[in-house]
Amino acid sequence: MWFVRFLTSSIGKKLIMATSGLLLFLFLCTHVAGNATIFMSSKVFQGYANELHSHPLIVLTFSLGLLAVFLVHIVVGLYLFYQNRAVSNSRYAVCTRVVKNSFASETMPYTGLFLLAFLVVHIFGFTFSPKTVLISVTVKQLLSNFFYALFYILAFAALFIHLSHGFWSMLQTFGVNHPRYNILIARLTIIIPLFFFLVFAGVAFYFMTGLGASY
Amino acid sequence: MSSINLTLKIWRQPNSDALGAFETYLLDGIHTDMSFLEMLDVLNEKLTKEGRDPVAFDHDCREGICGMCGAVVNGVAHGPEKEVTLCQLHMRHFQSGDILVIEPFRSRAYPIKKDLLVDRSALDRIIQAGGYVSVNTGGTPDGNSLPIPSQQAELAMDAAACIGCGACVASCPNGAAMLFTSAKISQLALLPQGQVERKTRALAMVAQMDEEGFGNCTNARECEAVCPKGISIRNIARMNKEFLRAVLAEG
Repeated sequence: MWFVRFLTSSIGKKLIMATSGLLLFLFLCTHVAGNATIFMSSKVFQGYANELHSHPLIVLTFSLGLLAVFLVHIVVGLYLFYQNRAVSNSRYAVCTRVVKNSFASETMPYTGLFLLAFLVVHIFGFTFSPKTVLISVTVKQLLSNFFYALFYILAFAALFIHLSHGFWSMLQTFGVNHPRYNILIARLTIIIPLFFFLVFAGVAFYFMTGLGASY
Repeated sequence: MSSINLTLKIWRQPNSDALGAFETYLLDGIHTDMSFLEMLDVLNEKLTKEGRDPVAFDHDCREGICGMCGAVVNGVAHGPEKEVTLCQLHMRHFQSGDILVIEPFRSRAYPIKKDLLVDRSALDRIIQAGGYVSVNTGGTPDGNSLPIPSQQAELAMDAAACIGCGACVASCPNGAAMLFTSAKISQLALLPQGQVERKTRALAMVAQMDEEGFGNCTNARECEAVCPKGISIRNIARMNKEFLRAVLAEG
């Protein structure tokens, strides 16, 4: 059974993390494009939301697919986290990390769990928000709250850290490692998470500071 | 010739089952031209004269090519210098008055035999799982009958530089043996002689690696940073590809 062999092997689980990570990354690309319409006007954003929700079957299919991808990424990630904790750093009296900038790779499970907490808040805030209120109104209402917006910005900072290891790590797992492209990949690993941070956190910042008061 | 005085904290453990502990030794007048292992020899002579048990440590060629020696010095496998084994690390890289904490390579798959001596036969079993290379018997092959592009040959040689010291496992935060296994898989997968068993070899070696109880790779890159032979994690990327291709084709 090749599938069982794949799932039970260490490299198989790594590939599952990378594949689900890639799908989540693609989801983020579509989400960030949608959010960017907020900066145009509330009308454009509401138009985008209305258009999206006028196809309930597409929304349902994608939501269920996304839920599955999230579950796989979280469950396999946690499983690997607990398995690796059995052989943690504590095995040495003196523990020195030779690699510089290892903060992101060391904190992957923690930034991931923080993002999970964010996800719960986010889904209950927006996805399950009362249908009688326009989504463009809900956005302004929720994010005008200083602490709510601050939590969002912190979550996007965690996303930045998570992706600043995850993006490169995903490509490495897929076997994409070539001296000709490694510098480009290293740059993209900073630029792409930074782009996500600027747009996502920008929305929260926009309402938090009152810049979007006339939204 | 200058000399330095050191304080050593060395892990002492009488056998695999005993509980170990650190012991502190003061060592004066260590010549800076000595290698790290020669410094340990001096310590052992001193201990023997005093009628105490000398520190057991692995060593063989003492010229950095056999892969036998190795210990974790102040938290770094093979000590603070880049791309050297412990035997090729010289005392000139230390200052007088330094405190050196010397621990054995630790991993779930490396039982400690005594003091700094660890059993790394798990790595041998990974190589054994790889099996043999099929070669057609017959007359001596003609020269250049098997052309190998120089780039390919260089990459295979880079992978083959692995001496199997196991520092990658010792320094990995997860105790993974991916760098070692990937180097061994790569050196044959890159050459025409390794093509016949390419897929079965990748599957068998990865399966054995998992069975030995090594951890999972999280791309922390510590292995590559401490490797005395500078083996690149590009080999791990190659192994991931090799494994995926093999599992899809052979199952």
